Amino acid sequence: MYKEIKKSVKKRIKESIVIGLFLMMSLSGCISEDESKELVIATYDIYGLSEEMIEEFENQTGISVSMIKLDDAGSVLDYLIKNKGTNDIDLAIGLDNTYLSTAIQQGVLTNHTASNLGEISQVALGPYNGQLAVPFDMGYVCLNYDNNLVDGKNMSVPTSLWDLTEEEWRGKVVIPSPQTSSPGRAFMLATMDYFTSETDRSDTSQFESWWSAMKNNDVIITSGWTEAYEMYYSGGYGETTEGYIGSAHITVSYCHSPGVEAWYSGSNITKSSSLDIPMASFFQVEYISSVMGGDVESSALFIEYLLSEEVNSKMPEQNQMYSVLEGNDLPETSGYLFHSIIPEQPSNLSMSEIGDNIESWLQLWNSAMI
Amino acid sequence: MKNIGSFIAVFLYSGLIFIPLFLALNRLIMVTGFYPSIWFNSLENNYISQDILQFTLFQAIFSTIVTLMIGIPIAWMLGRYRWPLESLIRTVLTLPFVIPSIIAAMGILTIIGPHGINIRADEDTWWWTLIIAHAWFNMALVIRFCEPILTTLDPSLEEQLRLLPNGQTRISRFRYLWAPLLVPSITAAACMTFVFSFTSFALVRWITVGNESLESMMATISSSAGIEGYMEFTSEMVLGASIIQFLILLISLWITSIIQRNRKSKIPQVNTKFVKTKNSMGWLIIVPALIFALLPIISVFLGSFRIREPVENEIIFRWSFDAWVVAWRGSNSFPPLTDALINSIGYAIITLCVSLPIGFSLASTISKLEENHKFLSQVLDVFTMLPFALSAAMVGLGVLLGIIKLDIGFLHNFWPLPALAHIMLTVPFVVRIFLPAIRSLDPMYDENAKVLGLKPWKRFFSVKLPLLKSSLIISTIFTLAMSLGEFGASFVVARNSDWVTLPLLIDSWRSKPMKDPFTGPASNVVATVLMLITIILFLFAERYRTNKEGGMF
Amino acid sequence: MLKCKALSKKFEHILFDNLDIFLEPGEILAIIGPSGCGKTTLLRCICGLEELDSGYIELNGEEITNLKVEERGIGMIFQKPVLYPHLSVSGNLALASKNKHSEALTEVGLSGFEERSVHKLSGGEGQRVALARALLANPKVLLLDEPFSALDNKLSLKLISDVRKLLKKRNCPSILVTHNYKEAELFSDRIIDISLIEN
Repeated sequence: MYKEIKKSVKKRIKESIVIGLFLMMSLSGCISEDESKELVIATYDIYGLSEEMIEEFENQTGISVSMIKLDDAGSVLDYLIKNKGTNDIDLAIGLDNTYLSTAIQQGVLTNHTASNLGEISQVALGPYNGQLAVPFDMGYVCLNYDNNLVDGKNMSVPTSLWDLTEEEWRGKVVIPSPQTSSPGRAFMLATMDYFTSETDRSDTSQFESWWSAMKNNDVIITSGWTEAYEMYYSGGYGETTEGYIGSAHITVSYCHSPGVEAWYSGSNITKSSSLDIPMASFFQVEYISSVMGGDVESSALFIEYLLSEEVNSKMPEQNQMYSVLEGNDLPETSGYLFHSIIPEQPSNLSMSEIGDNIESWLQLWNSAMI
Repeated sequence: MKNIGSFIAVFLYSGLIFIPLFLALNRLIMVTGFYPSIWFNSLENNYISQDILQFTLFQAIFSTIVTLMIGIPIAWMLGRYRWPLESLIRTVLTLPFVIPSIIAAMGILTIIGPHGINIRADEDTWWWTLIIAHAWFNMALVIRFCEPILTTLDPSLEEQLRLLPNGQTRISRFRYLWAPLLVPSITAAACMTFVFSFTSFALVRWITVGNESLESMMATISSSAGIEGYMEFTSEMVLGASIIQFLILLISLWITSIIQRNRKSKIPQVNTKFVKTKNSMGWLIIVPALIFALLPIISVFLGSFRIREPVENEIIFRWSFDAWVVAWRGSNSFPPLTDALINSIGYAIITLCVSLPIGFSLASTISKLEENHKFLSQVLDVFTMLPFALSAAMVGLGVLLGIIKLDIGFLHNFWPLPALAHIMLTVPFVVRIFLPAIRSLDPMYDENAKVLGLKPWKRFFSVKLPLLKSSLIISTIFTLAMSLGEFGASFVVARNSDWVTLPLLIDSWRSKPMKDPFTGPASNVVATVLMLITIILFLFAERYRTNKEGGMF
Repeated sequence: MLKCKALSKKFEHILFDNLDIFLEPGEILAIIGPSGCGKTTLLRCICGLEELDSGYIELNGEEITNLKVEERGIGMIFQKPVLYPHLSVSGNLALASKNKHSEALTEVGLSGFEERSVHKLSGGEGQRVALARALLANPKVLLLDEPFSALDNKLSLKLISDVRKLLKKRNCPSILVTHNYKEAELFSDRIIDISLIEN
């Protein structure tokens, strides 16, 4: 019997070696990375970071850039939190002032050491002025409407958020979800200020009832800005693209989006206008940050590069956002500047207030909507 | 002691499949606490997930009904009548099932979009488009499950019935003969269609913009799940959704397996050529069916050459290779097509090298145990089928939360890791493909080789493997195709990394705002490449398909 | 020289108990008995395809009771010829030996059959190929499990005498099991009736 057992063990071992080999092949993989300096950037699809621009940086510094493209600012934050302690990521680009405080609270960022920065405007430094994040672009989030239809004749131009809960607007408003989209989140924060500033946030009932009323008025909530603007909004470029529905005549975008439309048309044509309702717009700043555990020196070089006059002044054209450098404005070409407004009275929420309350406010929003 | 190989296979299988899921579950429960009622309620208490269960269920049921309505007439025509170029027709009609769903989504978007027939205007059209897309995808199941009975049933059964009082009309013959015979096959196909529609991700993600299925919702919120003290409601939702989904799938699969088992009763069969007759009216069904099957595929291909010109107030198209150049070269936001191609092929090969030996050993073990340890073999049989009740997103979450979290510094950069998800998804299929073949393998072949004095390895390579050649080829191709086209799990895993595969590249091209005229065409380019690979693999597999029992493969 | 001592096997009921079989060099033995009495199982136990409950087998002075099938050096011909459908006649023979295929085929009266597909062989031809293949492996003993029973009478008579001649020529000791007394008588030197031993 012993002999037989030994033999069969042998046979099985032979079989398992084959399996083992396959496994080894699969597990050993191919991880032999070159040791030249690499800058790992977690970001979402920011058009400001064009290919030419990255190549230029690589040529100047000899550092190779590797980009991890995530869905949006929220995913960038998720990613940073999820990978805390890996020391794999050097730089985060695209956290905005609605996410930055959470990122700081979660301890995923570290002080940057960039020194040679252009002169950043005080406006851009308004929400946050510290070493953990440097602004690189900005803009105001506000309502945009289709001025072909919302012309005071066919449909009246809203002057208060409550107007949107009227029958006239049933099913004609599209808003990206604050749970999954940063413009959506910015707009929800604006509404929070809009409805609660008088009571110092102690009474959120107006906020809740407005959102409930919007829900009852069949507001369309999309997961991201793109769906809202391209598919549902009738006033934007969406109508030339696939999947266009165009059932909504008001959406959340940027106050300068009509300017982008005009500029993009090449001939100063847009049928989209920004709606400047006091307190209903939100000043959004996007940041570039060194990530805890990453290569601070290399990331400082990239921060300096992104904040250089040469690169940052191109933000309006490359990224369709304002440059943060003093003295830069949108170009006047094709009505870009002309159709872009700066809201008279944007909402006023401090970043720390946002950080402390964002989760509970999102919960309030959530319960108002279900 | 004799079964060390089997032990290793079972051990590896348990490790590869259940450890990630166990660890992921453990992590999620650590975040949320063990409060199942909260998990389930979280689905209704969150705006993101509200009404998703109902939507998922309704669309799956509707999809199943529509799939049967489209599939049964086609299966009937194909099975009962003789057609010129019949095998080509069959190949075309069953092709959609192997086309990765993300490609189906691209093709269908191109057809129904404003530059196609322009019907994608509101939520009703989404709904019906999704249902029809699922029918497109799953009609092959109906054909595969029903055709064997239709093609081989002894015609004398029907002839005899004609002479009996209850069989003088077509309807009564259908009622007394065909319906009872076909019901098991149809139910099995319906259950599988339900499962695939229920867990549909790419099609839901791209066709119904305003709605999500449990699967797509889980994939969407996966990036913030499993983190303590941060958006914990997403962990609750993932737990609630995955448990409900698992149970629903389990029940459907259980029904399928009961049906399959009962179907074993022998039905008198004859050679196909005695059964089939001609039916010229049948072209009225076959031709539209062929068009239906091919349309999305053709539109993906053509869509890769059709570029929108940004001319104001007017939409003009030109035909060119520009999108191919753009996709091939890539950009900073989009890796070149070749990167994704190499990754995809790499993952497919790793998946093959692991799934095939494990799946084969498991199937051999089950069949070996059947002789003397009936109960044990049934346990293992069920055990290897359990992963069918796991959807791609659940497997992806398992790898993401269960494995990557173990040593995030190392595993995060571990290139082969996405293949783990593909292995988890493919092993059960490999087992299912091999098991019937191994079961039907005459033990005499092995015994005779033994008395000829052949050593085990020689018996394995010159006798057993060649005899299992067709299963080997089909499972190889199936594994490769499944890995190459896998979208849901890769989506979840790769969102936490910068690995890209062909399906992910299609998705990210398509996610780009449509302002860029290349958004659609470039995604179609990548889809075309993936589609061609899949079609070639499928055509190769068709030559070896010998399964007369019917089923998925 | 094959010595089987005290072989016992039980499968639901006793098939054989304490059975002794001796085979002289070159001897052809036939074991007869009704269907289902355990003849086939006996052969399968001797060549190792099935395990004995107890007993002792010795071949040419060496104990082989616990050796694996492929190490015993015992050949076997099954009731129906087991030919591998993925291989040609020659490919089937190659499983036993790389060369001497044409001689082997000539011996069984099938010269020129090398490249035939096994699907095209008749039952008798199939058994001849199986025999050629078994002999190519140079077995120390050849077991034959009713190899003639599936053939029609005339064909089987011819095959029986051909095989007997061949085995005698090679001086290969063999055991045939059959339920057909006439077949056993024609083929063998000695006959054991297993049912008599049992009772």
